[in-house]
Amino acid sequence: MNNAQVEIQLIASLVAIACAIPGTFLVLRKMAMISDAISHSILPGIVIGFFITQDLNSPILILLAALTGIITVVLVEYIQKTGLVKEDTAIGLVFPILFSIGVIMIAKNANDVHLDIDAVLLGELAFTPFDRLIWFGTDVGPKSLWLIGGILVLTLVLLFAFFKELKVSTFDEGLSASLGFSPILIHYGLMSVSSVTTVGAFEAVGAILVVALMIAPAASAYLLTTNLKKMLLLAVGFGVFSAISGYWLAHTLDASIAGSITTMLGLVFLLVYLFAPSKGVIAVLYREKQQRTEVSLLTFLLHLKNHDELEERHVNHLREHINWQKVRAKSVLDLALKNNMIVINKNIVSLTEKGNTFTTKAIDYIITNKDAQIEDMKDDFFLFRG
Amino acid sequence: MSNPIAIKVDDLTVAYNYKPVLWDIDLEIPEGVLMAIVGPNGAGKSTLIKSILGILKPIAGSVSIYGKPYKKQRDLVAYVPQKGSVDWDFPTTALDVVTMGTYGALGWIKRPGQKEKKAALEALEKVGMLPFKGRQISQLSGGQQQRIFLARALVQNASIYFMDEPFQGVDATTEIAIINILKELRKAGKTVVVVHHDLQTVPEYFDWVTFLNVKKIATGAVKDIFNDDNLTKTYGINFKVSVNK
Ligand SMILES: Nc1ncnc2c1ncn2[C@@H]1O[C@H](COP(=O)(O)OP(=O)(O)O)[C@@H](O)[C@H]1O
Ligand SMILES: [Mg+2]
Repeated sequence: MNNAQVEIQLIASLVAIACAIPGTFLVLRKMAMISDAISHSILPGIVIGFFITQDLNSPILILLAALTGIITVVLVEYIQKTGLVKEDTAIGLVFPILFSIGVIMIAKNANDVHLDIDAVLLGELAFTPFDRLIWFGTDVGPKSLWLIGGILVLTLVLLFAFFKELKVSTFDEGLSASLGFSPILIHYGLMSVSSVTTVGAFEAVGAILVVALMIAPAASAYLLTTNLKKMLLLAVGFGVFSAISGYWLAHTLDASIAGSITTMLGLVFLLVYLFAPSKGVIAVLYREKQQRTEVSLLTFLLHLKNHDELEERHVNHLREHINWQKVRAKSVLDLALKNNMIVINKNIVSLTEKGNTFTTKAIDYIITNKDAQIEDMKDDFFLFRG
Repeated sequence: MSNPIAIKVDDLTVAYNYKPVLWDIDLEIPEGVLMAIVGPNGAGKSTLIKSILGILKPIAGSVSIYGKPYKKQRDLVAYVPQKGSVDWDFPTTALDVVTMGTYGALGWIKRPGQKEKKAALEALEKVGMLPFKGRQISQLSGGQQQRIFLARALVQNASIYFMDEPFQGVDATTEIAIINILKELRKAGKTVVVVHHDLQTVPEYFDWVTFLNVKKIATGAVKDIFNDDNLTKTYGINFKVSVNK
């Protein structure tokens, strides 16, 4: 690896971390769309900032563009507040307009502005190592690295300082307000950090990837954990992993780095979505199948409990009587046997002591829904979870 | 009643998008009562509580807690929002949610420590939820979630408690457990204000009641004003509740 390669991966990783942190809270607040809006509507801010400063890495440009992001949020909330349209409609109204103003400004001033639409959408990660920061005559590294590093430090400081406030206002706005932690203040704080991060990351990775880096790692992490701190760490981990593996994917395929990183983000999400242990698609389908079997089991046990007659409890009769197909009947019988709920003696099925108690308890639960008593059953039976 | 006034609401009008949902409410709640707010859906019960707590800005009127604005009296007040107002899939545990009750006393930036954790565990114990402290909140039943919310209010160690429909979606056992804790709070001299739906249980659970439907219909002791006349005025239809006195 040469120096430029290391620098590109470092920048991509820092961008990923800086995006994953506000992204986690945006996902939890169900505000993924707002990051899309911000990432597009900062464009006119960037163009105006560029006219003024002639430097894409200038802090003034960052602030101007971030301000456009905040204005977007305010506009969206204002339109929404009139009660005439829903939030997603308001977002859909605001950002395309601001984005197209930016596009027109670039097109009209193509000669003066060294920006083009491709770069806006996908960024120029490959070129970031060439724009160096020279300090007192020494080369201290790419400007982008310093810029995004600075934003990341700021984000981390704010995260550590206001973690508790972010958590409570995200989970329970009403409580947060009543305790004196203004949800509006925290909301705009988060929007400001998201805007600044978006602008800082924009030049390196473009409008599309910024959104992907904010939302995809957090959405993947959300499916894997029930702990906010772990969710943040996982989101950061997924972001960095996608950044570095995406870089090498691009290297191998000789393709766009930003595009490859986005592909990796999508892939990570897809895998998590399918295979996450409790919230993944496969786990959910499996659980539903289990539940179906358990309901059958309960029906079956109840039938046994209600009938003393031998013919009602004959293995073959059960099949006809409860009207199950062979496979279903067999899997239910097996499950009941495995759990020592029944004994089969000369093809006659009877409830065991355990089966009897279980059936009584379970029916009781379903009728009264008193949850405390069935705590010990929850581990064995999906039916009583959730 | 000779008790001091804990909560005073003067000429309160609150609107969403310029459409008033509370009109000119005057209300005095004496210290030490266990009060039900009753009224049909959309009557503005939640809105009234949120306005008292400064969560919503009224377009007119004022609110005071022991004679001072809410902002100055936050330490005295605990709030349990409607259960449906939060996302129970949020990645957090029962213990963590209860610990949030200590955040107000901590103020900005400062993090909860051992002392706060201990207080949260004690509150969990009080509502019978200690065995579930580590459980993710979406894995709790409706009744258990409501108990967690109650524990979070208890940990605030307040003088005034506001609870928005604490019996919503809870089983009979939990309802009794919750009302017993609320009665204990009253015994300790606290003021408890509860948005309540089940009119049958009002006389049994509460000693004070406010009828609300956009306007205040009546407020006072249950034994004096909980009658068919006020119920009819509040709910609009002819009401016959068999009130066992
Ligand atoms: N955020 C809101 N925006 C607009 N209207 C609202 C909002 N919250 C409540 N409302 C309206 O205000 C009225 C009172 O609501 P609420 O206080 O929740 O009633 P209650 O708690 O008595 O059921 C209802 O008509 C409701 O539709
Ligand atoms: Mg309500």
